[in-house]
Amino acid sequence: MNPVDWYLTLATALFCVGAYGVLARRNVVLIVMSLELMLNAVNLALAAFADFMPGAAGRGTFFVLFIITLAAAEVTVGLAIIVANYRNRRSVQADEFSEMKG
Amino acid sequence: MPHGDFHPVLFIIVAVWVLACGVGVVALRNIVHSAMAMVACFLGVAAAYVLLDAGLLAIIQILVYVGAISVVVLFAIMLTEQQRTGRGFYFNRQSIVALPLAVATFVLVTVVLVTAKMPPVSSHAHNVSLAGIASGLFNAYVFPFELVSIVLLSAMVGAIVLARKEID
Repeated sequence: MNPVDWYLTLATALFCVGAYGVLARRNVVLIVMSLELMLNAVNLALAAFADFMPGAAGRGTFFVLFIITLAAAEVTVGLAIIVANYRNRRSVQADEFSEMKG
Repeated sequence: MPHGDFHPVLFIIVAVWVLACGVGVVALRNIVHSAMAMVACFLGVAAAYVLLDAGLLAIIQILVYVGAISVVVLFAIMLTEQQRTGRGFYFNRQSIVALPLAVATFVLVTVVLVTAKMPPVSSHAHNVSLAGIASGLFNAYVFPFELVSIVLLSAMVGAIVLARKEID
């Protein structure tokens, strides 16, 4: 295995841990935290590709920078929605938000 | 110790650290403990960037994730926390299916990655220099750079509007 394969395996494992958190937990704040783990895993994979692939010419680094910025924006808006929702419903349990259910 | 070489021992230490903290995030009952595990996991990812010879990414990771996002998450926990016990309160009904699904996804992606015919990779990390990142951001990537700043500004305003108290 190449060094890049080890980093990609680590990124895949972290991504699956985050995916499990998103699928299995009920607290919305914890789901957002698991999403951050998944974004970190993707960033790690991009950084590994950027560093080990000569043809990539370091483009992955720019992707990582933009993803980190967008993750910051996403987490602020997401948590603001969660707090506003908590004010109305007194709950942060994901499966209790069911008004839109047909 | 030359830059960019692959160090198996250091990598294993960082990988175990990152994965243990990641499992801690999704498995711990107390959500404040989960947030602390998340901070430790982000620090481990920063260490992985250092091993990849991407020092700027490591510094930004610590500044943005460990410094800013963790604080926002902790504020959200403080504003919403409820204390209750019982497994059904923390995990939903599909959590029994979620575990084999996540493991199967990991096995599938890993097998595909290892057996795939990748373009030639070097065993040595070639990192783009700090000057290269700066000139890239303001030349080839100037449009996404400006776009992302607008997104960040609107997210900031939107978060304030969403989270403020209604004044009657």
